[in-house]
Amino acid sequence: MSRESFESALERLLAERRHNRRRFVGRAGSAAFATSALGAFLSACGGAEGEGGGEESEERAATVNHPKEEFDEVVFSNWPLYIDKKVLRDFRAETGARVKYIEDINDNQEFFGKVRQPLQQDRGIGRDLVALTDWMAGRWIRLDYVEPLDKKNIPNERNLTDNLRNVSFDRGRRFSLPWQSGMTAIGYDSEQTGGDVTSIEQFFDPKYKGKVTMLADAREAASMVLFMQGKRPDEATIDDILAAIEFIDEKNRDGHIRRFTGNDYTGDLQRGNIAMAQAYSGDVIQLQADKASLKFSIPEEGAILWSDNMMIPQKPRTAYGAEVFMNFVYDPEVAAKIAAYVNYVPPVKGTQEILAKQDAKLAEDPLLFPTAEDVARLSGYPNLSVEEEQQMNEAFEKVAGA
Amino acid sequence: MGLRRRRLLTPYLLLVPGLAWLVVFFLVPALTQLYVSLQDGNFEIGYTFQWNWATYSEAIADYDEQFLRSIRYAGTATLLAFLISFPLAYFIAFKAGRWKNLMLLLIILPFFTSYLMRTVAWQTILSDNAFVTERLRDVGLVAEDGRLLATTNAVVAGITYNFLPFMALPLYVALEKIDRRLIEAATDLYASRWQAFRRVTLPLALPGIFAGTLLTFIPAVGDYINAQLLGTSRQYMIGNVIQSKFLVVTDYPAAAALSFLLMGALLICVFAYARVLGARNLEEAVV
Amino acid sequence: MRGRPLRDYLLGLWSVAALVYLFIPIAIVAAFSFNDPAGRFNLEWAGFTLDHWKDPFGVEGLGTAFRNSITIAAISTTLAVLLGTFMALALVRYRFTGRSAADFFVFLPLATPEVVLGAALLGLFITMGLATGFTTIVIAHTMFNVAYVVVTIKARLQGMDTHLEEAAADLGANEWATFRKVTLPLIAPGVAAAALLAFALSIDDFVITNFTAGQTSTFPLFIYGAARQGVPPQVNVLATLLLVVVLGLMALNLVLQRRRAQADATATAPVRAVAHPGVAQ
Repeated sequence: MSRESFESALERLLAERRHNRRRFVGRAGSAAFATSALGAFLSACGGAEGEGGGEESEERAATVNHPKEEFDEVVFSNWPLYIDKKVLRDFRAETGARVKYIEDINDNQEFFGKVRQPLQQDRGIGRDLVALTDWMAGRWIRLDYVEPLDKKNIPNERNLTDNLRNVSFDRGRRFSLPWQSGMTAIGYDSEQTGGDVTSIEQFFDPKYKGKVTMLADAREAASMVLFMQGKRPDEATIDDILAAIEFIDEKNRDGHIRRFTGNDYTGDLQRGNIAMAQAYSGDVIQLQADKASLKFSIPEEGAILWSDNMMIPQKPRTAYGAEVFMNFVYDPEVAAKIAAYVNYVPPVKGTQEILAKQDAKLAEDPLLFPTAEDVARLSGYPNLSVEEEQQMNEAFEKVAGA
Repeated sequence: MGLRRRRLLTPYLLLVPGLAWLVVFFLVPALTQLYVSLQDGNFEIGYTFQWNWATYSEAIADYDEQFLRSIRYAGTATLLAFLISFPLAYFIAFKAGRWKNLMLLLIILPFFTSYLMRTVAWQTILSDNAFVTERLRDVGLVAEDGRLLATTNAVVAGITYNFLPFMALPLYVALEKIDRRLIEAATDLYASRWQAFRRVTLPLALPGIFAGTLLTFIPAVGDYINAQLLGTSRQYMIGNVIQSKFLVVTDYPAAAALSFLLMGALLICVFAYARVLGARNLEEAVV
Repeated sequence: MRGRPLRDYLLGLWSVAALVYLFIPIAIVAAFSFNDPAGRFNLEWAGFTLDHWKDPFGVEGLGTAFRNSITIAAISTTLAVLLGTFMALALVRYRFTGRSAADFFVFLPLATPEVVLGAALLGLFITMGLATGFTTIVIAHTMFNVAYVVVTIKARLQGMDTHLEEAAADLGANEWATFRKVTLPLIAPGVAAAALLAFALSIDDFVITNFTAGQTSTFPLFIYGAARQGVPPQVNVLATLLLVVVLGLMALNLVLQRRRAQADATATAPVRAVAHPGVAQ
């Protein structure tokens, strides 16, 4: 991360060509104060900020041009254990550039909390690529924190699977490309449930009181209930969601839900403390290695398909380098290597055929390659405005304390 | 003349480096957070400073349950830690002889493993089908369909465990410097061992009890990991709320307000506690 | 006289029990370093293996993270002990205006939730233009360690009589010599305890480090990141290894101390008579 003195930051602010008026006022306001220490605090806290200019990003996306340039390093922040490191070495062999791969994203909100101040001050965050989940990616795009993609540098982009091409938070994929996708549904111990779990109704069956856990994430938890109530999460309104949260509150109070978890439902599942958990597909595949009775199913009502999306944060050191990397991982051969290691759903067409040659069993796994039938039942997260999001989070926090 | 001025300056010279460090790296950021707590808005539309004291009153109203719960849990844990640590510290200070340093090291050694791993280990030990839990079911201390994990007891036990060294070490430090001859003098003057303990040892150990209690209670109130890993949402403490407000709901003014309320509550506790002990501390001046 | 052995015996028993209690989870951590899970999650016992011990740094990034943690702990502990010891001395031994305010102020970092401290510090570093990383972690750790050190050493200093120091002054020693030859040895156990505490706190810190670490990795950060997809047994190995090494050093120290004590006992007997205070020099 480069050391920027406040003076040079100030210079850049004033020289900037972004002329969205509200924003400029906010920036100019903080710039005027910047020479005093108090002003420094004000901008650190984020003085008045305008909204991300919608028209402006359109303009930028249409005219984006990242010319070919020399680069020796691409800095990529990602979630832990989300890549086969051999792929990074292959990239170096092919392009001569090394990838500085930092596994410091453990949680979307947490990561955002760490980098929001430089983002708000229109500075770079020392990274050329980040991978964030859909709703957080949408937030960064809305707030204009990312660079548009120059598709000329990413010819392999045509390999993107069709169902991921037009997402509500990034129509036409002008700012993001999925890294991996995954599903959130029910992971269960078939020994305890005495058979398969095919419906979300079973999750709320009184005989499993105290033996189920839900994710401590408002979107995930509410979506599960929305599915059960016959609504698609990506079409749900804030009222639907609040009603779903009320339902969860009821179930929590009478002790049906043992607790709300992060990724640590894995411990409870493996140790037999619970019969069912709201779980991520990739985790369950890994758990199966040690406990064969664990299964994951996409219920008949539906499940969430989420993606972690690669984006180029503002002011990268090399946008071109980032795009070259994106192109590299959209090669089906490379995608197959990654999928074999991380066990999540690859967003690249052609991966299944290549994987079939290396690991036939994995290539048949519906958790990596959901069938067309499955895909029809999958939905994305709810789409909410900032206020609605805060409403949802506050309501959920009172229920789950998280 | 030169000596006198040096004497006057000495405390300030000793104090300044550490104080400067704390002022720059604690006070300044803390004041910034105070400023944030009085702001209004969210990160997308921007924050504006509005002397928004309403945030504070809302915070108290909404989270009084978690505040009180945190104080209860931390208080219980501190008491338990004291009961466990005092005999231990006493033994090391008075009876351990050449094993003294080894035992002290053993107290702090668990801290060299990660907090997270220790607490996860408790998850393994207290898991529903684990050895300990099964035996307790046999004996009837745990109901047939009951559990040890994801309960209040597990959370308090976890807090007690994780903060035990914070109680034991200051206790030891205070007990160790007590002049044995004072106790001998007391017994020579016909005091029973218990009386000598009560009227000589205990009062002299008070600074250590004070330090130990505070070093345990204060961070325990703000803890959130034990509640998160060993409890349910019904055990969530104020630390969990602040964590969530900050990182999930991203309501920074509320998070900052809650933090200051927490600090305020703790400071009141500290002052009250110091008052109670303060009167007795005067006895030391005589010694 | 007859009751004493029983009381002592019970105290000893209690102490051993308390120490065992402290080590139960550690034993689990150590045990699972020998576990041989088939998948990525090291949560249930699957079989015994020495593989992880043969290759403890095999997991990428773990070695660097571990090394960083140790270095940061060493530096921040040293700084904190220096700054904190002097502060404690000032606060206990001298009366001056602003003493109670300073006393109170030192407590505050202990009363602040780590989440807030971390985020506030991050804001400060950004404003200062200081890139987050190794240095900022050290700064943050030193900050909270100073508070702990001061409180711990104060507990030792309070009520400790000043006769010996006054005697030294009477014998013509200036303040610095008194400090070095009388005060310091007297408070040494307190300083050692504070140092040990500070080191452990630094090695184990997660929340504040998470905010101020930038791209640097530390042991707790690594574990937290790995916990999401399964903590590799090598982490257990390193954690256990650290414990064993520290314990080993301690044992070595004990042995050396005893040897030195034996050597001193024979050597100093005649010298002591000459250096006895009160005899005119």
